[in-house]
Amino acid sequence: MRIILVLLAVSGIPRALTGQRWERQVQERVQRTIAAVGTSPGLPVVRRSGMLNTDEAASFQTTLAQHTPYAIIAVCDDDCSRLQLTLLTSSGSEIAKERNSESLPTLHFTATTTAVYGIRVVMEACRWNPCWYAIAVVPLRKIPS
Amino acid sequence: MASLKRWVLVGLTACSVLALAYLPPRGARSSGKSIFAVQSLQATPARRHAQVLADEWRNADAGVRLLEDRQRLKRDSLPASPTIVFRGPTLPPNVVRNVETVMDSVWRGLGLAETKVRVTLVIELQRPNGSAKSPTPLQDRVAYLAPDSAHRTTCMAYLPAGPYWTSFILGKLEARYEGFAVARFAQWLQASVGPCAFYAAYGTPGRPVQSWLAARNWDVGLYLGSNGIAGGRFSSLTLLGDPRFRWFWDGVYSFPPATVACLAGRPSGCRAAVLAGTTEEWTIPIPNVVLVERRWWRAQHLLPGERYLGDIARTVGRDRFLSFWTSALPVDTALAAALKRPVGEWTADWQRGFVAPIRLGPAPPLGGVAIALAIAVFAIGIVTATASRRQIR
Repeated sequence: MRIILVLLAVSGIPRALTGQRWERQVQERVQRTIAAVGTSPGLPVVRRSGMLNTDEAASFQTTLAQHTPYAIIAVCDDDCSRLQLTLLTSSGSEIAKERNSESLPTLHFTATTTAVYGIRVVMEACRWNPCWYAIAVVPLRKIPS
Repeated sequence: MASLKRWVLVGLTACSVLALAYLPPRGARSSGKSIFAVQSLQATPARRHAQVLADEWRNADAGVRLLEDRQRLKRDSLPASPTIVFRGPTLPPNVVRNVETVMDSVWRGLGLAETKVRVTLVIELQRPNGSAKSPTPLQDRVAYLAPDSAHRTTCMAYLPAGPYWTSFILGKLEARYEGFAVARFAQWLQASVGPCAFYAAYGTPGRPVQSWLAARNWDVGLYLGSNGIAGGRFSSLTLLGDPRFRWFWDGVYSFPPATVACLAGRPSGCRAAVLAGTTEEWTIPIPNVVLVERRWWRAQHLLPGERYLGDIARTVGRDRFLSFWTSALPVDTALAAALKRPVGEWTADWQRGFVAPIRLGPAPPLGGVAIALAIAVFAIGIVTATASRRQIR
């Protein structure tokens, strides 16, 4: 029984956990953060990860459903000390920006209409380039009105 | 009397001008050619053009080869040591394992384990004459493909093994050289990792440092090890030889003025030598291929520059070095902050650790001085005698 459990555990290791130490670090960190904020059942959590040198930026687009509260969280590895997270409209205008939370910026947003939004992350300080980051767009449970 | 003084002054000034023009610098001999004559030792325009084209082709060829090798790599073998790829004859597995084992020890010797930027070493084995289908142009130059060229976190080093190391790797070296080669092989590998060792140890540098290093072709970051680049205390300074001989001074004066001033222990010269390449923003090409000069020790701005950044890293410690390495500040500011001293002063002290400051300035030979003084005294005597016999009517 113990052997079977071990085999199951080994086969269940996500692909991300087989990468570099820093990649594993951010994947575990973002997983913990998602678990901490809690997700709404039925809606998927959008995740992106990558690596950036100091002052480099990355962005991607995702669709946010109307009237659904979202937590947009970004984490980075131990060598990163400042990460900036920005939510943009599809045309590129800034809606919200978080740059004060150092290595764990979080944005809370509820879209009035379902639309495509942009998310940009800027690696403001990384002491050992490149630094790994991960972003999660987490749909939260709606608060009953 | 006023006229006499003027004549004496004119005589002395003329002597000084002649001395400045013709006396060789300290330790060197006159080339025997007048500095007033126009000399041209350059090649013809056609030859220069051909050399430029050949260099461009070699650079492009080196880049293409490294990019091809990067494409061929499926997955790096071990996370904590460099991947080694051989080009040329197919090697038996035990030979590959032996080289990997030596490289692992080198890696640990450099204090490296799992790194953010991985290193792949491409060792080009010498092919037997006439066996190659295409020319192998880079047989004596090491090339590096910096991260962000083909892959975000891979630095590749292209290392031509040449006939000696090819024979050693293939186990075909004569027995009498075997013992010596075993001891030197690890040193050769360590020296060959070059800038990739810095990428592995400290990651991708910030833009100012990257631009500075690109402008000077990484001459201050060619070697991370704590020993000399060829073992012991061997450095590019060793190649200059002994100051008692003429070739030492020929070598010294072939370097830029700031380099020579730094060898003389002048902090201002050291500062200028270190900061060469910081005055203008250097565009980092993509792919970023660093092609080390065939005689790299003659293209340095600082002696022994190959270990300069490695010595700084060991002196200031990892945290302070990283703050310099990734800084967005200008290089002189970031470096002075890491060193906690002015760059010129620190560098002058560092250089004194390798060589006693040389003495600069004119160095007239004793015989020449005696003759010049005798001529001057004779001339002054004649002028004095002539002036004293003049009669004013």
